[in-house]
Amino acid sequence: MDIRELQAYAYFFMTILLVVALYGYILHLYRSEKKGEKDYEKYGKIALDDEVDSTPIESNPKSKSEK
Amino acid sequence: MFHWLEKNPFFFAVGVFIVIAFAGLITVVPDFAQSARPVAGLKPYTVLELAGKEVYKKDHCIACHSQLVRPFKSETDRYGQVSLSGEYAYDRPFLWGSKRTGPDLHRIGNYRTTDWHENHMWNPKSVVPTSIMPAYRHHFTNIADIDTAYAEAVTVKALFATPYDAPNGTKLGSHEEAKAAALEEAKVIAGNMKNKDVKDAVANGQVPEIVALIAYMNRLK
Amino acid sequence: MQSNAALEYDYSVAKLFTFTTILFGILGMVIGTLIAAQLAFPELNYLIGEYGTFSRLRPLHTNIVIFGFTLSGIWATFYYVGQRVLKVSMAESKFLMAIGKIHFYLYFVGALLAVITLLLGFSASKEYAEFEWPIDVVIVLVWVLWGISIFGIIGIRREKALYVSMWYFVATFLGVAMLYLFNNMEVPTYFVSGGIGNIMHSVSMYSGTNDAMVQWWYGHNAVAFVFTVPIIAMIYYFLPKESGQAVYSYKLSLLSFWGLMFVYLWAGGHHLVWSTVPDWVQTMGTVFSVVLILPSWGSAINMLLTMKGEWNQLTDNPLIKLMVLSSTFYMLSTIEGPIQAIKSVNAIAHFTDWIPGHVHDGVLGWVALMIMAALFHMAPRMYKREIYSRKLIETQFWLQTTGIVLYFTSLWIAGITQGMMWRAVDEYGNLMYSFIDTVDVLHPYYVIRTVAGVLYLAGVFIFAYNMIKTMTSSRTLTEEPMFRSPMA
Ligand code: HEC
Repeated sequence: MDIRELQAYAYFFMTILLVVALYGYILHLYRSEKKGEKDYEKYGKIALDDEVDSTPIESNPKSKSEK
Repeated sequence: MFHWLEKNPFFFAVGVFIVIAFAGLITVVPDFAQSARPVAGLKPYTVLELAGKEVYKKDHCIACHSQLVRPFKSETDRYGQVSLSGEYAYDRPFLWGSKRTGPDLHRIGNYRTTDWHENHMWNPKSVVPTSIMPAYRHHFTNIADIDTAYAEAVTVKALFATPYDAPNGTKLGSHEEAKAAALEEAKVIAGNMKNKDVKDAVANGQVPEIVALIAYMNRLK
Repeated sequence: MQSNAALEYDYSVAKLFTFTTILFGILGMVIGTLIAAQLAFPELNYLIGEYGTFSRLRPLHTNIVIFGFTLSGIWATFYYVGQRVLKVSMAESKFLMAIGKIHFYLYFVGALLAVITLLLGFSASKEYAEFEWPIDVVIVLVWVLWGISIFGIIGIRREKALYVSMWYFVATFLGVAMLYLFNNMEVPTYFVSGGIGNIMHSVSMYSGTNDAMVQWWYGHNAVAFVFTVPIIAMIYYFLPKESGQAVYSYKLSLLSFWGLMFVYLWAGGHHLVWSTVPDWVQTMGTVFSVVLILPSWGSAINMLLTMKGEWNQLTDNPLIKLMVLSSTFYMLSTIEGPIQAIKSVNAIAHFTDWIPGHVHDGVLGWVALMIMAALFHMAPRMYKREIYSRKLIETQFWLQTTGIVLYFTSLWIAGITQGMMWRAVDEYGNLMYSFIDTVDVLHPYYVIRTVAGVLYLAGVFIFAYNMIKTMTSSRTLTEEPMFRSPMA
């Protein structure tokens, strides 16, 4: 097996893997929204409500000051 | 898994990196050994030619000129033989360019002479009346940097095994030898030129940029 | 933090970068307009002796626009948006504040050195990677500092979820770091030869065809990670914020993100079609360039749909107008690029003026308009004054739109004309035109392109004037505007 062949296999499997991951991700996005686990669209509001003192959409427990 | 990735900036970054690095690994890396092989009989650049290449780089001739004859009849008719990968084996960096405001120069040494270049670089319009190429008169007065060119040859010989001093190849030798050889080569070229300043400089043991540049262009065949 | 009441976002670093965005914007585009004029009127090559030829100035133009104007714009917006979407102020960390400032000053010094050395002719002569190794070292340091800033502020964030703009900024950081490092692998000859020659000089680690592959893997993706990814980061924040409308589909924005990351890096091969790189690399370049339409249009459509039901804002708010036009140009250039990547089209288009034409509808239309709109949006918040003049924004908008349209139409025609003439043969199969014939026909298009450049540049001057007036003498605001930026 020369380098060309290796390259071709690496390419093939990596691409398949990433394509599967991408579709998995799409599924995940819609599924978790349907099941009500997570609402992705609410993150869009991060840009709109972005004062220092506005309430975070998801608080970071590690941050210095909790409000 | 995805939830976790979205919230862990570090692993998120790693994920992004894998996705973007993948393409480079596959397309660029594996061909390295193969594409770097020189065509048979290719000699490394002489020190004077390297100095000329440096002038070509310094004044960014690649902004307007390519060095890549593509495999079309219209191009081989116009410029000459199609370019081969192995011809570029000693080109660091490659100078293919991306824009042909002026013609391709990969085969220029086949159809233009020292004295044509002299007139053209001094004033392109004197040769091609509607040329839009700038005149490069400073090449006639600036002195080429032979030392740096020598340093480059030494570097590529030491690190990239460029075959200097091989039998029937380009001789490099010591610093003094290389300088003397470059001057000899320069004298031949200056002998075919008219410009008085250039001739005087070469007689005084200096190499004006134009001489080095012409040596480089004459070598492009 | 004792009292949150006093806590405010700290824009000092963003303001510094705003200043360099304006400075380098003007400088880069003045040079650009000059070199455009030189192609139409070659006498202009001799204004400042050796230093004023087209070829010496062209790398200055490209580097100042890419690494001066655009990078400054990216950092100005990063140091603004980063704090806001993470809901943490830079004032809360002395360390990050210091890093931010060092980041700026080191960058500025590096940029000045870069301009001087390029003008003097120190150049590696690889497009968009011309800087010699000492400058590269400074750039790497600057980049590391930015990395510390990004991850530092992420580390102290209050908002746990990273807004999509941050994703794009992180990707910019990683992408450029990887590309820049690999493409600029070079050996300083001074040290290897034991102290002979010029210390600035270096030689590339790659040769010939390999160098070409690395260079265009870099060259194309520098476009991706400087001209696309961070600009998307901007529009995902500024368009929603200015219009008060959340992103149309947040999920789509995430999907296009991964799509873009994966596909973009493959497309570099399209710069090397018909060259001596292996055929399959060329084909891969073409195929992936076409696939790239999907994630690009995914983002663009998402931006346009964000305005759904609010199209009236397009007429009453000139900033929305700038941003919407900008995403429209993004769509145009992301469809034009793949067309040029197709092998048969590339045979004609490559090496002609159609290529700079394409780059310019991307950069003038998409990148520069977005950056200017972003700075206008930031100005009232950073300087607590309303924007000096709405009329001037309108004038700028029309000058620049006309400029861009003239620019790319003239270069389309010029490129295709020249490409066809190079290959035209008569009935006996002989070439019909000498090379200079194909240069002569371009003169009118070069003139139009120069006029286009002047129009656009006029717009940039108006922008700069408007910004400076906003900083210094416009009416002060008592309260930060929520969405729409106030303007007189
Ligand atoms: C503004 C663009 C431009 C730049 C920069 C430029 N040239 Fe040219 N060059 C042209 C044009 C246009 C022509 C065709 C007209 C002519 O021959 O003058 C040309 C022609 C030539 C030719 C003749 C080619 C032939 O086949 O007849 C040579 C040799 C040449 N240039 C060398 C150089 C060198 C060396 C440099 C860098 C120092 C350079 N050029 C920089 C535009 C440019």
